[in-house]
Amino acid sequence: MSSTVFYDRFERHSHGEGLKGQSTHYCAGCGHGLAHKYLAEAIDALGIQDQTVAVSPVGCSVFLYYYFDVGNTQAAHGRAPAVAIGHKVANPESIVVSYQGDGDLASIGLAEIVATAQLGLPITVIFVNNAIYGMTGGQMAPTTLMQQKTSSSPYGRDMYMGQPMKMAELIAGLDGPVYVERVALFDAKQRNRARKAIKKGLQLQVEKRGFSFVEVLAECPTHLKMTPEQAESWVREKMLPVFPLGVKKDETRDAWYAPPTPNYEPQALLGAIGGSTEALPRYCSSYPAHIAAHDISLKLAGSGGDGAQTAAMLLARAGINEGFDATHIPSYGPESRGGTSYADIHIAAEEVLSPASPHPHVLIAFNAPSLTKFASTVREGGTILYDSSVIDAPPPMPDGVTAYGVPMTRIAADLGKPLVKNIVALGALQAATGLFPVDTFLTAIRQALKDKCAMIPLNEEAFEWGRQSIAPRTN
Amino acid sequence: MPQVTERPKPFLFPEFCKGCGRCISVCQKHSIHFADHINARTGVVPIEIDLDTCNACGLCMDACPEPYGLIGRPVDATDWELEDPSHLFGHRPTTAPVPVDIPDQRVALPACEPLVVKGNYAAAIGALLAGCRHFFGYPITPSTEGAELMASLMPKLQGVFLQAVSEVATVNHMYGAASAGQRSMTFTSSPGFSLMLEGISYMIGAELPGVFVNIMRGGPGLGNIAPEQTDIKLACRGLGHGNTHALVFAPSTPQEMLDMTMRAFDLSFRYRNPVVILGDGYLGQMTGRVMLPRDMVKPGIPAWAVWGDAMHRRNLTSSIMLAETDLEQHNEHLNRKYEAMKVEAMADTFVCDDAEIIVVACNTPARMAKGAVQELRHMGVKAGLFRPQTLWPFPVDAFLPLLAHARRIVMVEASPGQLEDELRLALSRADVRTYPPISSVQHFGGILPQQHEIVTRIMDLPAGSHAQAVSGSEVLA
Ligand code: SF4
Ligand code: SF4
Ligand code: SF4
Repeated sequence: MSSTVFYDRFERHSHGEGLKGQSTHYCAGCGHGLAHKYLAEAIDALGIQDQTVAVSPVGCSVFLYYYFDVGNTQAAHGRAPAVAIGHKVANPESIVVSYQGDGDLASIGLAEIVATAQLGLPITVIFVNNAIYGMTGGQMAPTTLMQQKTSSSPYGRDMYMGQPMKMAELIAGLDGPVYVERVALFDAKQRNRARKAIKKGLQLQVEKRGFSFVEVLAECPTHLKMTPEQAESWVREKMLPVFPLGVKKDETRDAWYAPPTPNYEPQALLGAIGGSTEALPRYCSSYPAHIAAHDISLKLAGSGGDGAQTAAMLLARAGINEGFDATHIPSYGPESRGGTSYADIHIAAEEVLSPASPHPHVLIAFNAPSLTKFASTVREGGTILYDSSVIDAPPPMPDGVTAYGVPMTRIAADLGKPLVKNIVALGALQAATGLFPVDTFLTAIRQALKDKCAMIPLNEEAFEWGRQSIAPRTN
Repeated sequence: MPQVTERPKPFLFPEFCKGCGRCISVCQKHSIHFADHINARTGVVPIEIDLDTCNACGLCMDACPEPYGLIGRPVDATDWELEDPSHLFGHRPTTAPVPVDIPDQRVALPACEPLVVKGNYAAAIGALLAGCRHFFGYPITPSTEGAELMASLMPKLQGVFLQAVSEVATVNHMYGAASAGQRSMTFTSSPGFSLMLEGISYMIGAELPGVFVNIMRGGPGLGNIAPEQTDIKLACRGLGHGNTHALVFAPSTPQEMLDMTMRAFDLSFRYRNPVVILGDGYLGQMTGRVMLPRDMVKPGIPAWAVWGDAMHRRNLTSSIMLAETDLEQHNEHLNRKYEAMKVEAMADTFVCDDAEIIVVACNTPARMAKGAVQELRHMGVKAGLFRPQTLWPFPVDAFLPLLAHARRIVMVEASPGQLEDELRLALSRADVRTYPPISSVQHFGGILPQQHEIVTRIMDLPAGSHAQAVSGSEVLA
């Protein structure tokens, strides 16, 4: 009897009507039928029919799913290996077979097959190479031989069309695959080898050892314009010298593929995303409306290492901890790589509308270019804090704006850690504007450093020094 | 004494012979030859076997490419070749069971403090909450942080993060994972989204779910990496070839990035169709307050999945409908789905009840527009904001009532009118033939329209567009 891995009736072949219910759509003598047969036998022999997902390509074997009574997915042209990866990682217990022809695998899908082979997940690829495009009507394939005439190389393939792709050798040159073999179908001996190779390829997947690739030299009598018998001879005489048969790679690799089962525990998820059920204390009695009625905007500007973004994040976090809305948007991209780093922050009583700060209430400038660029944008009644250790000649400040020169870098350096100058700046900001109470800032700082507790005292000290630079403690 | 053998001799139904002759050359006993007649049902000359000379070596059966061509005759069989082939090979195409849904579960989350995260992170967290444990992606600015967060979180949740070799591979990994019934997503940005369109068309054709977060950047071509909204056309009108549509969400806050991504997964599976979330580069980078939902999803396996087990064995994922009538029926089915998706249209309005100037904007520009509308209101100008949260379907039903008092529509967008095109098309389809003139504030080089520009533009509109409230603050006071 025929393999039970083939459907009893090919319902998907013209709705299983008439002879099509038990005949393939392949031309007489086509190699695909044999490759199908050996694949079905191997699935049967390994007892994996219920695990198998076959990925059908585009090309003559596009209708693989007509025949195989396994899970079936039909892929876009050349993408079958990428689809196979999706299946394999979705269900690591599934046995995934990507069955592809030469146009599909060696031309349009070259990137996908090479990447998939190198990735090395246990997937089995059956590559049917018949040196010509079948479905589209006999055009030149990547594996077409030199001088071979096709409908798109009517005078024969020449150097201007490139040389035939030797996929088995190419794939075997990669680290990912465990097993690569090229087989043929032109006589009983070759067919026997082909059957064994296909089974071995699958077996290695079942054993979770890795990626396997079996290239099958097949006959396309139709487009070779030969009888099946002549086509068999043609493969033997013409293809073999270019595509030598044999094992190209057979590496011993222990079973390794055993990915874990996805975790859907709420606690694991909350732990991963940093979700906390613990409410932080609030220190603000009301929204700091003395700065702006509903929406305070700030700009922090400096160069890459100044920590403007970190300080901005702390401000947004502090505002949100206090129950306000807050946003932080960094300058980014090449801009941020060019050495400048700006952050726009909003803290709103209800809802931040526009998150940009073209006219901030507060500017913190860590270097001279930033101060020069943004000082004039600060609103009347606003505040500017700048690092007086690096800016000795500040530009004239706009009217109605209070400016403070704070030696941020020097204070931080005195503390032994120049990096904390942004925290010095936050301390100065607190003292100069009273944006939030001291504890609001300290809570946000401690929260941010909860995984680096040793850093907390230094940062607290930096914050306090920043405050004192504006309002020296009198006691 | 005749040799007793366990090996079967070959048997053939002539109608399943394609007459290729591959069995003839392999037979050492020369027991096979072409018949001297054409088979009336197939129109080809089948082979005939001389069983008397055959030694049951089996080589011919190995050489026959047809699954139901040369097969072994059961040794103990008598007369069975006279049976009807369909009887012999069974009536049922498969013995696989009929699959059933393994339903999703909602798992309660404890009440949590708000997260302070950027938009890209919020979308990634939304996906995790929605039960997505398969992420595929190719790095592209300005969407990459979303992928990077997934790279760090997926291993902690025993999920899969796979960096694909390209966006083409990405969408096909998603196709495979979705075909297996799993929730998968990607982060990309405009040029990457272009590359995914082929796969999205296949996903729609094959009715596969998946969530695409496209953090739009400046184009065409390589353009730049600054924020833009010029993929609205692509997402609403150009999801690859063929009759394609997908729900398109346009969040404008990190909170919406989370909420809409979570919702996208549910809708993607409900409709068995991809869902697109369009953000802009600014929103992706914007940090804000994000509340977590009350529950998360533990996904099941849908009945249609090609999971790779006995229960799902009979399933097929495919976008091929060879027969014209089959394809037409399939497209009619898709059209019904697209029609059903219209209930998902969503919009947010801000002080639109009496608005004479309707500002229309989505994503981050909608926040600038909201600021502008508030400023205009302070000046006594009756402006309101209409913010489509879904771009396809366009929430036209929510827009129509606003036309009653509107004198002018002002589009605010970081694109040369792609949102405006959606609005105009939606009005046209709704048979609205007269509506107020449309003005616009546009940028399309990676700059977003700013609040003051919107205010200025509206104040400069010709008289009659809005009540001239000269001393606006008095009006409001
Ligand atoms: S065209 Fe060639 S490859 Fe395609 S089915 Fe016919 S013989 Fe086979
Ligand atoms: S089984 Fe062997 S001997 Fe018999 S017909 Fe087939 S090839 Fe010839
Ligand atoms: S190999 Fe099969 S299809 Fe070809 S002639 Fe022989 S029986 Fe017929």
